[in-house]
Amino acid sequence: MLGYTLKRLATGLVSLFVLATVTFFLVRLIPGSPFQNGGVSDQVVEAVEEEYGLNEPLFDQYLTYMGNLVHGDLGVSYQEPDTAVAEIIGRTWPVTVSLGLAALLAAVVLGTGLGILRAVSKSRIVREGILAGGMLAAGIPNFAVAILLLLVFSVKLGWFPAAGLLTPAHYVLPVISLALYPAAVISRLTGNTLSAELGKQYVLFARAKGLGRGRIIFTHALKNAWIPVLNYVGPASAFLLTGSFVVESIFTIPGLGREFVSSITNRDYTLILGLTVFMGMVVILVNLVTDLICAWMDPRMRRSYRGR
Amino acid sequence: MKVLDVQNLSVQYHTGQGHRQALDEVSFSVEKGGIAGIVGESGSGKSTAMLAVMGLLAENADVTADAIAVCGQQVVPGRDIAMVLQDSLSCLNPTVKIGRQITETIRAHKNCTRQEARERAEELLDLVGIRNPAQRMRQYPFELSGGMRQRTAIAIALACEPKLIIADEPTTALDAAVQAQIILLLRRIVQDTGTSLLVVSHDMGVIAALCSRVYVMQSGRIIEQGTAEEIFYSPQQEYTKKLLRDARGIQRLRTGEKDSEVLLRLEHVTKVFDTKEGIRDISLEIRKGEIYALAGESGSGKTTLARILTGLLKPDSGRISYKGETLDAGTQAGIRQGKIQMVFQDPYGSLNPCLTAGQALSEALKALSGTQGGMTPRERRRKAEEMLCMVGLSAEDADRYPEEFSGGERQRIGIARALISEPELLICDEALSALDAATRSQILELLLSIQKKRKIACLFISHDLALIRKISSRISVLYQGRLAETGDTREVCSDPWHPYTKLLLNAAPQPDLLKARRTRPVLPAETGQEKGSRGCPFAEACGYTMKCCYNEVPGSYSFGSRKTACFLYSEEHTGKRAEGYQMTSQI
Repeated sequence: MLGYTLKRLATGLVSLFVLATVTFFLVRLIPGSPFQNGGVSDQVVEAVEEEYGLNEPLFDQYLTYMGNLVHGDLGVSYQEPDTAVAEIIGRTWPVTVSLGLAALLAAVVLGTGLGILRAVSKSRIVREGILAGGMLAAGIPNFAVAILLLLVFSVKLGWFPAAGLLTPAHYVLPVISLALYPAAVISRLTGNTLSAELGKQYVLFARAKGLGRGRIIFTHALKNAWIPVLNYVGPASAFLLTGSFVVESIFTIPGLGREFVSSITNRDYTLILGLTVFMGMVVILVNLVTDLICAWMDPRMRRSYRGR
Repeated sequence: MKVLDVQNLSVQYHTGQGHRQALDEVSFSVEKGGIAGIVGESGSGKSTAMLAVMGLLAENADVTADAIAVCGQQVVPGRDIAMVLQDSLSCLNPTVKIGRQITETIRAHKNCTRQEARERAEELLDLVGIRNPAQRMRQYPFELSGGMRQRTAIAIALACEPKLIIADEPTTALDAAVQAQIILLLRRIVQDTGTSLLVVSHDMGVIAALCSRVYVMQSGRIIEQGTAEEIFYSPQQEYTKKLLRDARGIQRLRTGEKDSEVLLRLEHVTKVFDTKEGIRDISLEIRKGEIYALAGESGSGKTTLARILTGLLKPDSGRISYKGETLDAGTQAGIRQGKIQMVFQDPYGSLNPCLTAGQALSEALKALSGTQGGMTPRERRRKAEEMLCMVGLSAEDADRYPEEFSGGERQRIGIARALISEPELLICDEALSALDAATRSQILELLLSIQKKRKIACLFISHDLALIRKISSRISVLYQGRLAETGDTREVCSDPWHPYTKLLLNAAPQPDLLKARRTRPVLPAETGQEKGSRGCPFAEACGYTMKCCYNEVPGSYSFGSRKTACFLYSEEHTGKRAEGYQMTSQI
């Protein structure tokens, strides 16, 4: 297991290297210079570019950047000259993480709960209702949800604050808009896999053993049903933990997603690169954790890792 | 005193299409400490009756009964009645440790601490003959063999000292040798614990070995009942007579075509894996048009051998020749294409659900077009339809998807897919074991008629000795990756030479009261030969071991058409042979 984890971390490093390289050259394809601005003369731009080493041959710049990256130095932002990229990440990521984790929790709890309800309910109305509701929730794009929520609950009714992330009440609307889609998907997946598990022989056998309904569903069937669902939850949580530009913009939340998009429009090379590498790292780690959780839940998978 | 009393039990299923009567006023009972059996073909309602007794039927089933009582009281599943089901792999939760699956049953019915439950579980595992129970409890179901899992299921059934155990086809999924162990275990448990047992089976052999009272069931009714003696010696109903006739019928369906050309020859083929079964030093030849059987329990390397023959695996060493021409990596593809085909065990898993039957068949043709000259899609389609008709389906079935067919029909498609390239050798890897008894005999008939008509050689891989006996002309018995014995099927089965062959033949339950109840030696539950042991793989379980058996692997000793790998037939043991010496069985 440890060997497998180390191997995955090593391949993760390779992926990060490729990611940094590709992004480095792609960013340079964005037309214009980071310091070009309506009111600045060409001489000033050249002078600043020289200061940041942007007039050197591209490949030399690349080597310098990768050298710094190996030492953990992500460089300094061009837009905010005195702040290191690491500092910007340190400032914005906690915001995104707190929002993302809340949304993830909401999506998992709500999705699993409704999924279980759909699989075990005897009432046809409940089953069809959850299915239809899930489709509706998965069908509306999250910017529409966010704007709608903002309009109704914040502007019209005034129940929740509209911008920022100061109090728990601030979390409600953005969390809903972030969690709605994953919750719908999780509920559909859980419902399907759980129904399939409940039809299996071991469930019949467990009933024959005289176990209670709750115990059969929660300790026997749900564990097996959730293994396939995890394959969706993993990438979904990576998405939630790296921030959504749309939701962060609409609710004016100073998170990673918003920072990322503004760095692109500003052609802030080091910031774009730094954020990309950081997000890549988060995605790789989250996927590794997902696979480890899968292995923890499914002994057959654990054994197949042991040889590798 | 009656432990279980069921009076006039009827079950009706409500489906979208209307009502279906599954059981019609069925009554049966089990005496205290007795073993009763319900026998019938699949679909006769046996399992429905058992589930109704347990109260485990689906919601669309309508159950009415004058009485379903255990010792005069209402049934509490798990406590009064426990169940053992057919497929022990699917009835244990794959992601929960064995130990927990036992202790949770105990704790569901008894007020006791975790520690007490664990001790009780160890006791139970010990009772069902599992060594190192504490260690086994930490394992998962997939880490145990089929026999071990069935023992575990029995341990779970015993957990709360039930008054009655219902065993639904308890040995059907197991090899003959393991089957005999489980039957012995069930009999011992009834004797030792005083619980009663209700056995449900389609196998008259299992019924004969266990039951003292027998109910015969057909299409949801009990058509005959009586003591085992009455049913086996003077059956009244035509249906019962037919069941017995079918079970006893070792009427040989064919004889071998001797002295025809050797189609496929294996010489000292070896393939070893780190983890799973391998095969070692296998030599055999299959002749044109014959049915050659490969017998052995699961894990003996049968499937590995089949994969090597079809070219799915490459042997580590040894030579395989086809019609005298050596097959190696280069020529393999060209010669084998279409000439050796395979019918797989699992009719559900071996067909691509996204392809219609017609597409699956023409795909097999498309793969050939390189060697046989291209066929147009229309020709392929016509050929596919022809094939479907030949295996008893219709041309319209070509447009249907696998999920629309039953298990038997899918296996027909599998056969059509194998035959469409007009092979000379057909490998059937447990092709019938996933099917129920009635379908099995239909598919077998189909296979045999096609085999006869087209003079295809057939390698029939199975653990079912009764079946092999019926259809094959020659047989090889495989034990732990090595050939134990090879020879004419009739000779080998009537006069086995290798101790393992004898044990295997004895193990199969026979539909004969006297024979079935005779106590015979069975293979020990855990034969686990230690790794790195140098001797004969069967030495641990063999009753004829000599000193050399532990130190050396026996070579293959040939006498005419028979070969056996046992030191009993070596010159050191039986002395030098004169010309024309006739070897006889040494056991």
